[in-house]
Amino acid sequence: MRQYVLRRLALAVPTLVLVSVIVFSIMRLMPGDVVIRMVEGHAYAPTVEALRKELGLDRPAHTQYLEWIGGIVLRGDFGSSYWTRQPIWDEFIRRFPITLELAGLTILTSVVIGVLVGIVSAVRQDTASDYVGRILAILALSVPYFGLAVLVVVLPSIYFKWTPIWTYVPFTTHPLENLKIMIVPALVFGVTRAGPIMRIMRSALLDVLRQDYIRTAWSKGLPERAIVLRHALKNALIPVVSLIGLQTPLYIGGSVIIEAIFRLPGIGLFFFEALTRLDYPVVQSVNLIVAAMVVGLNLAIDLSYAFLDPRIRYR
Amino acid sequence: MAVNRVEAPPLAVDIRRLPRTLPWYAEVWVDMLRRKPLGTIGGAIVLVMLAAAVFAGVLTPYGFAETNLRERFVMTSGIHWLGTDQIGRDEATRILYGARISLYVGFGAVALGSTLATALGIFSAYWGGRVDLFLQRAVDAWMAFPPLLILMSIMSLLTPGVLNITLVLGVNFGIQNSRIVRGMALSIRENTYIESARAMGSGHARVTLVHILPNVLPTIIVVATTGLSTVILTEASLSFLGLGVPPPYPTWGGMLSLTGLDHMYRAPWLAIWPAAALSLAVFGFNMLGDALRDLLDPRLKGG
Repeated sequence: MRQYVLRRLALAVPTLVLVSVIVFSIMRLMPGDVVIRMVEGHAYAPTVEALRKELGLDRPAHTQYLEWIGGIVLRGDFGSSYWTRQPIWDEFIRRFPITLELAGLTILTSVVIGVLVGIVSAVRQDTASDYVGRILAILALSVPYFGLAVLVVVLPSIYFKWTPIWTYVPFTTHPLENLKIMIVPALVFGVTRAGPIMRIMRSALLDVLRQDYIRTAWSKGLPERAIVLRHALKNALIPVVSLIGLQTPLYIGGSVIIEAIFRLPGIGLFFFEALTRLDYPVVQSVNLIVAAMVVGLNLAIDLSYAFLDPRIRYR
Repeated sequence: MAVNRVEAPPLAVDIRRLPRTLPWYAEVWVDMLRRKPLGTIGGAIVLVMLAAAVFAGVLTPYGFAETNLRERFVMTSGIHWLGTDQIGRDEATRILYGARISLYVGFGAVALGSTLATALGIFSAYWGGRVDLFLQRAVDAWMAFPPLLILMSIMSLLTPGVLNITLVLGVNFGIQNSRIVRGMALSIRENTYIESARAMGSGHARVTLVHILPNVLPTIIVVATTGLSTVILTEASLSFLGLGVPPPYPTWGGMLSLTGLDHMYRAPWLAIWPAAALSLAVFGFNMLGDALRDLLDPRLKGG
């Protein structure tokens, strides 16, 4: 087990190096020059050349890359924003709890809905409730979350005079107010993500329910509730966990749009604002941090299989 | 030489004279509907969308950027079925032309991406060794980015436009799916008929194109059809954020976008119709893709 973890960690290093090279090259090779915009539109410096020199953009690309990576590895310094000159890491840490809370509530919503509907669909296979569940899953798969989010912002405000709360309150200052703000975006996003979870839950549970040990449980005379919830569910949850892991990048990508619509000052909005101002260092470093998190999470999920299914042993 | 002629006994019922209940083209649909009901509905939706995209210019008397300031914020009327927007553009017209952009980007990116995925996947699997190792680490690295994040980063640096977004989505689709093609090609490469082809003197080109490619093709078709809805949805997300196809071209994502939010409070149909069109299209492609996957490659069947 320990050796497996170490080997996986060692494999993650070249991946992350490539990640950094890819994101750095994209940001440098593409046209679109932030310096010209900063000088001509906002008078950050007298001339383009002066600002270029100030930001260190006049040096060769590999020097810039090594400086960026060196700062991260040696000092944990992810650079600063061109526009605000604020360190990126501080801003990222300050905003991270918001995105984490949104992602957590979204995953919670989608898992609760998806797993419950999936169980009912599987246990009552080919009945009316199964068909209702499957149709709901297909609907959830089809409606784009940003479309649903726009409708949730627009329609209730016209017909019920209800709007989402636009001013963000941190969880630490006022937990209840904070949850009232977060629950609507999380529900909107979570409902649309429940579709795939429900489908995979249903097929996994159907698969497990046909296995020998479940027949044994029936023949022991156990009640249905105990068989489904205690014996079958745990094994059927493995594909669900791996699906959530696979979909984490989608949750992070989606949080950009959800945060932009509901005006939540999280990582997504930070990234989007930096993007519209061509703030390379921010876009670059946020991409790298998020990719590193995805790599780490995938590892954690692989290891969690061992807990969910004791038959899986790593060497 | 005498030939024994044996007369065919008269048929008890001449099947050719049996009354046919439906013409053949209708029977094909009934048969499909019976076997794959959702897939058929999905296929019908896709066909309608294709027709809308192709005949948008004929189906509507308005241009997609044609404004009419006297008829702004019409909810619905005899000449504007789905109403008009803040500068009096016909909403139905924009939805029709929106289908054109969605399909153009969707099919373009998937065609480009499938080709790239095939080339990359087969090359990596066939070559093997260090090249394969390096390419796969690069694919790993690319897959570590949340797709929307890296696509947004790239699009923010390029000039927005149909061609650029198609290229970017296509390359992304290709890299993501090259992994699946590579897996298929790896197992095909081990077959004895590949070995015998090589023993008979077939070169690399012949082995890959004649012996490996046809065997990977069904998987590629499945990947392409199931990927269409994702690509269309991603294009809509990027256009929604203003990083996709720029105005005045109507895209469903762009029509929903936040810049029009103030108008939507006054005219909710400006949000409802594009959202409905997008959902319907994604539904159609999803269902068609699932049905085709079950028919073409039952091993990939999901829940």
